Amino acid sequence: MKDSQPLLQVNDLQVSFKTDESQVRAVRGVSFDVHPGETVGLVGESGSGKSVTNLAMMGLVPKPPGRIDGGRVMYDGKDLLTLNERQMQSIRGRRIAMIFQDPMTALNPLMTVGQQLTEMTRLHLGLNKREANRKAAEMLELVGLSGAEKRLRDYPHQFSGGMRQRVMIAMALSCEPDLLIADEPTTALDVTIQAQILDLLRDLQQRRGTSIIMITHDLGVVAEVCQRVLVMYAGRVVEQADVQSLFAAPKHPYTLGLLNSLPRFDQSSHTLEAIPGQPPDLGNLPAGCSFRPRCPWAVDACANEDPRLVTMDQDRQVACLVAQETANV
Amino acid sequence: MSDSTQTEGTRAADSVTADPPLLSVQDLHVQFPFSRGSFLNPHHGVIRAVDGLSFDIREGETLALVGESGCGKSTTARAIINLVHPTSGRVRLCGTDITGLGDRAMMPHRRVVQMVFQDPFASLNPRMTVGNIIGEPLVVHRLASGKDRKLEVLRLMDLVGLNPRFLNRYPHEFSGGQRQRIGIARALAVQPKLILCDEPVSALDVSIQAQIINLMMDLQQQLGLSYLFIAHDLSVVRHIATRVGVMYLGRLAEIGEAESVYSHPTHPYTEALLSAVPVPDPVLAATRQRIRLVGEVPTPDREHVGCSFADRCPLVVDRCRVDRPPQEQVVQTSQLHTVACWERGK
Ligand SMILES: Nc1ncnc2c1ncn2[C@@H]1O[C@H](COP(=O)(O)OP(=O)(O)OP(=O)(O)O)[C@@H](O)[C@H]1O
Ligand SMILES: Nc1ncnc2c1ncn2[C@@H]1O[C@H](COP(=O)(O)OP(=O)(O)OP(=O)(O)O)[C@@H](O)[C@H]1O
Ligand SMILES: [Mg+2]
Ligand SMILES: [Mg+2]
Repeated sequence: MKDSQPLLQVNDLQVSFKTDESQVRAVRGVSFDVHPGETVGLVGESGSGKSVTNLAMMGLVPKPPGRIDGGRVMYDGKDLLTLNERQMQSIRGRRIAMIFQDPMTALNPLMTVGQQLTEMTRLHLGLNKREANRKAAEMLELVGLSGAEKRLRDYPHQFSGGMRQRVMIAMALSCEPDLLIADEPTTALDVTIQAQILDLLRDLQQRRGTSIIMITHDLGVVAEVCQRVLVMYAGRVVEQADVQSLFAAPKHPYTLGLLNSLPRFDQSSHTLEAIPGQPPDLGNLPAGCSFRPRCPWAVDACANEDPRLVTMDQDRQVACLVAQETANV
Repeated sequence: MSDSTQTEGTRAADSVTADPPLLSVQDLHVQFPFSRGSFLNPHHGVIRAVDGLSFDIREGETLALVGESGCGKSTTARAIINLVHPTSGRVRLCGTDITGLGDRAMMPHRRVVQMVFQDPFASLNPRMTVGNIIGEPLVVHRLASGKDRKLEVLRLMDLVGLNPRFLNRYPHEFSGGQRQRIGIARALAVQPKLILCDEPVSALDVSIQAQIINLMMDLQQQLGLSYLFIAHDLSVVRHIATRVGVMYLGRLAEIGEAESVYSHPTHPYTEALLSAVPVPDPVLAATRQRIRLVGEVPTPDREHVGCSFADRCPLVVDRCRVDRPPQEQVVQTSQLHTVACWERGK
């Protein structure tokens, strides 16, 4: 899979927001590739820039207060960051689709679910009203919303949290995109429906070779569907590895802390091990490594040098001076 | 379990002598009317979002509600605090009947029971700063003003892991998980006795999730807080819950002490649910078997005379389709663990 040309290449992406007190550097030089048919997991601290990275790729960061400070997003020979809104519209939804983290802001409260589901397929696939309605009902069926036709005339507020989330999934899948960006797609779903949705994504991938960027904090979901994982902290990728090695031997202290915080389904211990300390303020980052104030391994050098993402072995990259040091000896 | 008989003994004694439970929900029904079909040929009906639900929550306890998406968990919580009005049934808070109270009458009770909403995006006022959002309940209930209020807000922000420097920011300037923590800080502000938490940690990374769960459990120990905890993450539920109720289509399929439900899942729906939990282990994930539910996912817009799970149940017998199984059938392993199933309840 890695021998193929990447479908998408993100290179040194930087995004910031202007707020009253500071310039918040939400994404600080993120680079990664997505290959055809691959599922890349994106995990990390809440507020570390996972959503903003992907919104920026789709041209959806509100400007102002947002600003793209640099980088390139190469797709199909073009840098998506240089396209105008009209060019972007022919890609968004059709070639690259996104399942948004917050269904309530992504769905239009004044339009019925049916109208929103058919809008995309009429626009991008040129379906007529009848065909689009049939397609919409079929998509809702696929995501486990039964009695689908009956509910096409309902408004989003009449749906439960998980039902809205599935409407968004149905919308994103209805044009069979090349790349699907799924931002916490299953947080509001019970595990049986979650399993059904993950099957649906796998099926789409096998049938169509769709690539998926799966943003999730659910490491169980990562273990089940991703081949490769990126771990983000404070606007940077701090570790990248294939899924087996990441779980078997995390190299970055943040990744390690994350895995240690997990409540395990098979046991009910008492206190969970949270990573100590506060998440960083992106408008006012410390010098050196941004994880240093919370890091159990920190040495003096960490205060001076902001570690780069360095390739360690075949498929593993880590941004930590101590981890890099240990690997060298 | 040797102590289950003893617990049962004390509970039986409680019901005669001791205080009423903090929250008691009896035979709760919530229906949403709808009309569909064409203008000339309308079709009216009701969605039975909550369809006969009973449970208690005692002081210092966490009852988790889990179950299929759309089975009525959020509606149950909203009905308890009268954000939607129950169609029938009774809700008692500390023994006082609060069923269907209007906003005004509900006010004093909101100091006792607070809610953390499922959708942090939609539930925060976009025009208020975070400081004002968290401080508002302090104003409404006249608990603190001026400098004290600000200090209290800063303390709450620190408690839930929000950087106090963000005091004057607006909700849209926060990530998903950060907004969820704003909702939690706001609910804690009035120091309630009971918090209804609707997916309070679902948008958080596991480290902050651990931090919030530890915080909730600490507060429970220190202040005797109780929680109704709605969640999909069954590992989190196992960790935090004293008791677990498994809902299916507006009803309880099974309810019991967390340990008992996890080690002896009895309702066929609970079994399917527990087998589908994703495990954070790529090797195990590739080999594990899960029970797949077949059959049409039922809709809450028709009345189920029998068991609502009958159409998808591997154990179904004729009786299930005509007779509704009562919620109170005791499971052998524990007196406090009951199941609504004709086949498994006997
Ligand atoms: N409009 C905005 N103004 C100011 N800051 C913003 C804005 N939007 C996002 N941010 C900040 O950018 C950072 C990255 O946000 P992002 O939504 O990408 O986080 P995330 O990794 O998706 O987190 P989560 O897991 O909680 O969803 C956050 O710290 C957030 O506070
Ligand atoms: N205002 C409303 N009008 C009409 N139907 C509604 C309304 N609110 C909820 N419902 C319906 O009631 C049922 C139960 O919804 P509820 O939000 O309680 O589910 P839930 O168990 O919280 O699900 P989830 O896990 O997906 O959040 C759903 O079928 C939903 O469509
Ligand atoms: Mg996000
Ligand atoms: Mg809900």
